[in-house]
Amino acid sequence: MTSSAVLVVEDDRSMRKYLRGALEAHNYAVTEAGSLAEANTATAAQSFAAVLLDLGLPDGDGLTLVRAMRAAASTIPVIVISARQREDDKVDALDAGANDYLTKPFGTRELLARIRVALRHATQPASDDPVIRIGPFVIDRARHEVLVNGDVVHLTPIEFGILALLARHAGKVITHGQLLSEIWGPRGKEQTHYLRVHVAALRRKVEQDPTRPRWLTTEQGVGYRLRDE
Amino acid sequence: MSEHRAWRGYLVAGVAVAAATLLGVALGQRASLADEAMLYALAILIAALSGRGPGLVAAGLSIGAFDFFFVDPRYTLDVSDPRFLITFAVMFAAGVAIGGLTSRLRAAEAASRDREQRTAALLSFTRDATGASDRAGVVRAVVTHLRETLGVEVTVGAGLPLEITPVEADDDRRQFVDAIGRQATIAIEKLQLAEAAREAELAVSTEKLRTALLSAVSHDLRTPLAVITGLASTLRETAPASEHESLDMIVAEGGRLGRIVENLLAVTKVEAGATPRREWVPIEELVGAALERLAPTLGDRKITVDIRGDAVGHIDPVLGELLLANLLDNASKHAPDAPIDLAARRDGTGIIVEVADRGPGLPPGTEHRVFERFFRATHHDNGVGLGLAVCRGITTAHAGTIEAKNRDGGGAVFRVRIPDAAPLPKFDVESA
Repeated sequence: MTSSAVLVVEDDRSMRKYLRGALEAHNYAVTEAGSLAEANTATAAQSFAAVLLDLGLPDGDGLTLVRAMRAAASTIPVIVISARQREDDKVDALDAGANDYLTKPFGTRELLARIRVALRHATQPASDDPVIRIGPFVIDRARHEVLVNGDVVHLTPIEFGILALLARHAGKVITHGQLLSEIWGPRGKEQTHYLRVHVAALRRKVEQDPTRPRWLTTEQGVGYRLRDE
Repeated sequence: MSEHRAWRGYLVAGVAVAAATLLGVALGQRASLADEAMLYALAILIAALSGRGPGLVAAGLSIGAFDFFFVDPRYTLDVSDPRFLITFAVMFAAGVAIGGLTSRLRAAEAASRDREQRTAALLSFTRDATGASDRAGVVRAVVTHLRETLGVEVTVGAGLPLEITPVEADDDRRQFVDAIGRQATIAIEKLQLAEAAREAELAVSTEKLRTALLSAVSHDLRTPLAVITGLASTLRETAPASEHESLDMIVAEGGRLGRIVENLLAVTKVEAGATPRREWVPIEELVGAALERLAPTLGDRKITVDIRGDAVGHIDPVLGELLLANLLDNASKHAPDAPIDLAARRDGTGIIVEVADRGPGLPPGTEHRVFERFFRATHHDNGVGLGLAVCRGITTAHAGTIEAKNRDGGGAVFRVRIPDAAPLPKFDVESA
């Protein structure tokens, strides 16, 4: 199995050591950077399959690296791992071009799952297949039809739009802003409450227990995610 | 003092006129009548320098003495030559005019001396008043200075501008008291402004300190926590089964520590007066997120959820999730192995959420105290008693109410009501 190269940008030595151990145990090749400067040197010298990025770095904000990478048209997935837990910080990171966000502390399983999702999306960008299969769902985008465990479920056009968008980016968090502008268009911004109510209705149709969603999960204050495993 | 001086003025008048008379008599025929008149004029002038009264008296005495001793017929008060009436009139006029001028000069001099004294007193008062460190100091200066300058005992009112009683009847004195009052008022206002500025500055630096502390807690605690739980979960992948329980506990306790940090941040945020970002949120979504977050703690605990699907609350979703998570966490801690019931419904102008357990219930009399920070119902409690304080903080920030009571049939029930802060929009989900 060929190993994917992962750049870990984190100023805390113990944290870097833990991440190296956890990733190497799963056949990732790890390069460590303790600052923005080191990260820039590393990305210039080598290409990576993914970047794990802490935000509070000694020589600046980690987001400047994401912005620089996206400005240079790099599509390398970036997963932010930060001690900052404010929802605005998460939305800022995702808006800046980060693919995902993990708040410290997090479990190794969760981290590995996020990396897998990010790598998959990098190799097969948002699925344009007319039919998407995730867990119990079969979503036929051409026919606007959804099967859950083989049964047809009737969805409103907005509910279908939400599910299809989340499914195309399965495993990845989609922000309220992204959902609103995709489904309602530019005039949809600031209508988060309608989005929430539609998602609640969607859950009641596709989840076994809408108060304990197994697939359509909430990232409070940030957006929604459709789990893919 | 002024009486003594007046008495001395009249003495001067008598002596001066007597001296002029004696000199005139001594000179006899060697001096003309005009010379005698000049001597009296000198006496009037000297006397008039003591004031209007002595001047008048000296003029009267001089006219009498001149007439009696020198004007024919001598030793009578008769006047044979009406020419002397003019002399008398001039003498009298000189006495009145010079005396008047002197008096006015004296009065002006006294007034300016008084003004000078009061200006000096006012200056010295202003120095004391601006040097005072508080209102009481300024008031003390007012009382002391008025006692020293005017010799009155005053009392000072509690308001602003300062009211000084008793009110002086004399215009000058009243003006002086008023000036003192104005200066004192300005001094107190300055003190109040300085105090307000100091308080504002303190509040800003406290807020800065709080924010700095929070980010320190947030960052410096979370990173080592991430290393500990991360390493434990990595170790678990390869560890023999006998060590799984210990490693799982490390991860679970790390998660709990993470939640405590989060609660600390939340309680500080709402107590600092941060305004909740209210949105219309289906309560179902908040419950789902709270249950997901607590999944490691709750395990396979039976939780019944009774929510009308269209029940929305006007609540900050992040704080709302934390509120529900804390209520559920509290119920699971105090009623281990017992089912938890969660119900939510709208009552027209707000959302009501109830979390009930079948645990031991609340010790009588602690129904209000459970929301105090660091309160523990029993010694066996674990946790720092922060969860319910956070619940109250979040509820209060939403102008809501929270109460705890014992439940019929055993256990406790916590009831939260969050009133809407805006009219409920129309959600037309199916036709969209």
